[in-house]
Amino acid sequence: MAYRVMIVDDSPSMRAFVRRVIDLSGFEVDTCLNAGNGAQGLALLEQQAVDIILTDINMPEMNGEEFLRRIEEHDKYRVIPVVVISTDATENRMQRMIQLGAKGYISKPFSPEALRGELERVLGVSHD
Amino acid sequence: MTDTGVAESLAAAAADVLETMFFSSVIGEAPVSATPPAGAVAARLEFSGARSGAFAVRLTAGAAQVVAASFLAEETAEPTKPQVQEVICELTNMMCGSVLSRLDRGAHFDLGQPAMVDAAEVAQPEAVSRAFDIGDGEIAIFLSMDVQS
Repeated sequence: MAYRVMIVDDSPSMRAFVRRVIDLSGFEVDTCLNAGNGAQGLALLEQQAVDIILTDINMPEMNGEEFLRRIEEHDKYRVIPVVVISTDATENRMQRMIQLGAKGYISKPFSPEALRGELERVLGVSHD
Repeated sequence: MTDTGVAESLAAAAADVLETMFFSSVIGEAPVSATPPAGAVAARLEFSGARSGAFAVRLTAGAAQVVAASFLAEETAEPTKPQVQEVICELTNMMCGSVLSRLDRGAHFDLGQPAMVDAAEVAQPEAVSRAFDIGDGEIAIFLSMDVQS
């Protein structure tokens, strides 16, 4: 099955890198939407449905924490699993993002296998 | 943690980030020079939380080009200056996060936005530093932590 993915990060290079790592991992992507911050991500969600969201935390205009809060408040969007991708590997940050509604968390640096594993875990994809 | 322990965390973080995200390998240790080589570029960010301070990365021109090209998967075209700067800021962000989480995984840190700075400004005497040869040039990293009262 191929998935509709949204990548939210203020760095175009990082968005391209994440997309490349997803492809390298073998995780199948149907469509990939790109947003530069949480506000752009919400605007895109109004136009197009996605199966999973990958988001950075530190972004201008609307950061990852506010983006997660807005998604959680929205009946239609809160069912979409969100995976946070961050440079912050501390337990404290991880727990905070999970409390805000993130279903997964992966810290940089990460391997293609680790990213695929986290995407499949939050999507409930079985390897069987 | 002692300066030796911090320096070991710097080395481990640098190797991990470079290999996993930038497809570059640390070939060996290099001497940290106070004066940057001609054409060197640097980025710096400040952090706060359980500890506060600043983290900086300085790359020779050759290393910066190679690291940026690897991250961007540019096999033919040379990355533009803005692309190189964006990648160097991302590298700084990742290395700082990796170092701080190695120093104290249970702590809380807030990382500021990395920004390009004058390469001559990053080698502060109070910073713990390491430098590495990555084949196409050198990368030096500097961590300064404010004294806790």
